Amino acid sequence: MTSRFVRLPIYAAAVAAVLTFALALPVPAAAQDAGELLDPSTMQEIRLTINTRDLRLIRERYSEDTYYTADLQWRNIRIRNAGVRSRGSASRNPDKLGLRVDFDRYVTGQRFLGLKSIVLKNLWQDGSFMHEALAMALFTRMGQPAPRESFCRLYINNEFQGLYGIVESVDKTFLNRTLGENDGYLYSYQIQEPFHGEYLGDDLAPYKSRFEPQSHERETDRMLYQPIHDWLREANSGDDATWRERVEEYVDLPQFVTQVAIESFLAENDGLLGYYGMNNFFLYRPAGSKRQRFLPWDKDNSFLLPGYSILERADQNVLFSRAFAYSDLRNLFFQVLESAADSSEESASKDAPGWLESEIDRIAALVAPSVEEDQRKSFSTEAFYESVVTMREFARLRPTLVRQQISEIRGRR
Amino acid sequence: MTHKFIVLSAAALLVAAGPATAQDSVPPPTPVQAGAPTTPSSEATTQPPEESGSEQAGSAEQGPEKPAQKKPKKKADDWGFRWSDRPSLRLGSGTRIDFRVRFQGDLDHTTASLDGDDGDGSNVDVARRRIGVDGEIVNIIDYQVESELGDDRNPWRDVYANYKQYGFAQVQAGHFKLPFSLDENTSATNLDFVYRSRVAALLAPGRDWGVMAHGRLLRRGWLRYELGVFREDGDNARTFNTVRVHGGQTVAGRALVQPFRETKAFASDLAFGASFTTSEIPEGVSDLRGRTELDASFYRPAVLVNGQRHRLGFEARFRPGPFSIKSEYIRLSDERRLQSVDNTDLDPFVSSGWYVSGTWALTGESKAEGLDNPRRPLFRGGFGAVELAVRAERIRFGAGAVDPLASDAPRAEVVLGNSDRAYTFGVNWYANRWIKIQANLVRNTIGFPEQGPSPAQPVYWSRLIRFQFAM
Repeated sequence: MTSRFVRLPIYAAAVAAVLTFALALPVPAAAQDAGELLDPSTMQEIRLTINTRDLRLIRERYSEDTYYTADLQWRNIRIRNAGVRSRGSASRNPDKLGLRVDFDRYVTGQRFLGLKSIVLKNLWQDGSFMHEALAMALFTRMGQPAPRESFCRLYINNEFQGLYGIVESVDKTFLNRTLGENDGYLYSYQIQEPFHGEYLGDDLAPYKSRFEPQSHERETDRMLYQPIHDWLREANSGDDATWRERVEEYVDLPQFVTQVAIESFLAENDGLLGYYGMNNFFLYRPAGSKRQRFLPWDKDNSFLLPGYSILERADQNVLFSRAFAYSDLRNLFFQVLESAADSSEESASKDAPGWLESEIDRIAALVAPSVEEDQRKSFSTEAFYESVVTMREFARLRPTLVRQQISEIRGRR
Repeated sequence: MTHKFIVLSAAALLVAAGPATAQDSVPPPTPVQAGAPTTPSSEATTQPPEESGSEQAGSAEQGPEKPAQKKPKKKADDWGFRWSDRPSLRLGSGTRIDFRVRFQGDLDHTTASLDGDDGDGSNVDVARRRIGVDGEIVNIIDYQVESELGDDRNPWRDVYANYKQYGFAQVQAGHFKLPFSLDENTSATNLDFVYRSRVAALLAPGRDWGVMAHGRLLRRGWLRYELGVFREDGDNARTFNTVRVHGGQTVAGRALVQPFRETKAFASDLAFGASFTTSEIPEGVSDLRGRTELDASFYRPAVLVNGQRHRLGFEARFRPGPFSIKSEYIRLSDERRLQSVDNTDLDPFVSSGWYVSGTWALTGESKAEGLDNPRRPLFRGGFGAVELAVRAERIRFGAGAVDPLASDAPRAEVVLGNSDRAYTFGVNWYANRWIKIQANLVRNTIGFPEQGPSPAQPVYWSRLIRFQFAM
């Protein structure tokens, strides 16, 4: 009996130790999902650990796409041996790094909350820090597949790097979530000299250099690029009577017109009808199909002006200018614009601001403390607050100005 | 290519048939072993210079320890041109220049679809085309100069001189193999198989410029030592890729114990050895590579290393009568100081491997004395010597593919590696002193086939045939 009483505290201590150890263990990643990370209403905190030599090299060689090893910590989840690299086009810089984090770069099949990769956007070209998040949110409201986005405070080696956007990568995981399948061919458009949908010739090389495969990378050039070649050849052919039938075999024209319309409402200056030709999109072709669709990407340059023309550079783009000649597609374009205007003004009550303005206020409140603390941002804190005011003005004016433009164009026709 | 190979082989056979007449005309029939000294020094006669680790025909590691050549009786014999297995120029007592030619051509075929084959898995390759001279100067210096024809980037192989006046403390300087690994230091012409073991070919250092002390110590010279300093850590793993790093100045040493040497014991040939190298390795991606015997890559590490590179090797050899058995274990570790993502030290990147091999001379020759001088040579009334050989081996880089923590990240705590396990079955035909033909059948198993030469085929077979002419 005595020995039992002696042992009892030992057993109790052992159980306590086991429980303490168990509670100290990180919660498995499966207990949380990507929705929490990409929740736009919460300021996230992401911590990257990168060897100081690698960090120096990333900054020195920020224009290169070289991957380096990093550990990523979010809440109590630590992802080891992720691959991280500098990213972006005009936003690339050594001070506030734009980063892409690939979780399966070095560990086959590794996922973070089910995601293969994320983009840590440095919000370098946007004084309001909210163009991207708002634009993608509108795409989603309009029923179009778009990456989810949230904001985070990024730390590298425990040093605050500033306010960042967390952007869901357009990859197989994204395709499965938004389109319900991911077996097809996904391409990321790589901007070069201005391209407005012109036919690039019989050789597949110019198509290869513009459309970088994100899936089926090992397939032959013919499998990868012939449908793109055929689409552009047909889109540039002269026979108006059969143009639409031939082109629709290769591209979803209503979807294309819808995306252009939403970008147009957003006064997007660097999209499908961008100032430097087509830009910032993915192309997706389901397996077993020749028909391709567009997916939006990188909307930093949206919200340019409230009075931005809804047909800005519309005549330059081969595909759009010819599609616009068809009355049903033209009407679709106007309908989407009107829907976007309506959606942005939609409010919970009569006196409350519209959805777009409410979102601007909400995001401004969410990010302001981090913006003030961000020493690496390219705009001043004052410029941020001024941009928020400009954004509110955009939200109030843009729907009306878009409707006016639609009326004028319809009136002319 | 196949035709070229056959023509070259036939030409070499004709050349080999020719000297038999010439040899008959040269008195006396002194069995000058490749590189064997003519010095009267008793130490030197039992310790030919090839023991220093240089790759020569007749390396003492694999080759025989032949009786010393008799002292020339006439002074006139010390001068002039001689033919004794090979052309030789005598320039006075104890001074000579021997001229050497070596050719090896390979035919191979594999069931795996490897890069670089000609479509049906077959290849024809010229493995070695070497010419050179060796010899000695006034009985106290051995030398060798050998070059690989067609290798414009790195033509020199062995280029060294060995001061051998005192057998217990000889000094060798130049470009030669570091004293590490029994198999690596066996001459290519004396290999039991077409290719060296993977562990020797990939983890042993190979050649470099340096200086080395070596000799035999203790009673009957049963302890042999080699200790040297080298400019870098050898050329085996080195690549022309400047991103990859290799060891800098290297200290290498080897000790071989032959406890029953020069006794009449059955185990008189039994030898055990241990060797090491140590060098600094700068920060960068390791230069190590995993390649199969047919040069197909199965591992290309991205791992970053920094600190010390250490090699450790153990070897054993026994050659009773027509049989032989030998084995080695080699471990190479590269430190990874400050290489974790948070700038702490990581566990060293370790590569290791072993092999066990055995041979049996069916025609009865003594393995210790060498099969390169068959009892009944071809073209001289016989068929030559025939030998069977078998080898089991394994080499492994990093952690096994099954380790769930393993990653191929440059700064991974557990480095995702790969392994190759191979079984080789061979037949060697020593036609005569100059010609040898080897046929090998190799079964490779790649541990992590996704990184291997044939991802859909973790197990595959290769057939190799090597024709060798060495003079």
